Amino acid sequence: MLKNGLRGALALLACCLVVACGRDKRLADTAIKTAEKAVATGGPDVEKYAAEQWKGVTDSLAAAKENFAKGEYKAAIASVENIGQKVLDAQAAATAQKTRLENAWTDLAAGVPKMVDAIKSRVDILSASKKLPKGLDRATLESAQAGLAAATQSWADASAAFKAGNLQDALAKANMVKEKAAQIMQSLGMSVPEAAGGAAPVTK
Amino acid sequence: MPEETPKTTPKPDAWDSTQWHEVQKGETLSKIAQKYYGDASLYPKIFEANRDTIKDPNLIRVGQKIRIP
Repeated sequence: MLKNGLRGALALLACCLVVACGRDKRLADTAIKTAEKAVATGGPDVEKYAAEQWKGVTDSLAAAKENFAKGEYKAAIASVENIGQKVLDAQAAATAQKTRLENAWTDLAAGVPKMVDAIKSRVDILSASKKLPKGLDRATLESAQAGLAAATQSWADASAAFKAGNLQDALAKANMVKEKAAQIMQSLGMSVPEAAGGAAPVTK
Repeated sequence: MPEETPKTTPKPDAWDSTQWHEVQKGETLSKIAQKYYGDASLYPKIFEANRDTIKDPNLIRVGQKIRIP
């Protein structure tokens, strides 16, 4: 009689566990599907401009799926908790970063070509000069000419990268041109604009 | 009476790459060309770059700021 009672109790407990387990599985499945939908709204800019934050989001989803496959439903639910908010945060971070990069590009695009033009003007005149000014030798002038050609090409590459939507690449190239142009200007005895690390402009 | 528009100082261009020279006593465009280009005969390049402020290449004044292309 006692044995039968124990058996019954164990069977009831087993039933309860199966029912609870089934409920957790359904909840976990729903949570994962909801998370997948949220992640799908991320868009390409998020991965591009908030890469680390976005990796955290996709890693959470992957972990949830892994836990689900192992039958660890509660852990699966916990993995994707607040994922909708995390997606929104990543989107906001990506938008802010993209804006920062666009502003940086706008600034460089307004200034670097001026530096390149100034160098070209000076190099053209010095190339026509019978002698060079004090402190400047032919080797330095030739190096400036080569540097100018490289900077002009790199600027074209930077502009192409920007037009193609590769902001990070465009900025990296544009900054390289800025550094190179500043270096050439110094080698030719020219003053470097303030925005490129030179002294404040002379009052006109 | 219309409100007076506040006068604002234009923000200096931090990217301005214009090369400037302030004329010193005894300097001529030829001397300045010699200084920057190593060749006095290139003074017309400086004159052309400053046609808005220099009407006669033989007439520049001390303290005048001129562009060096």
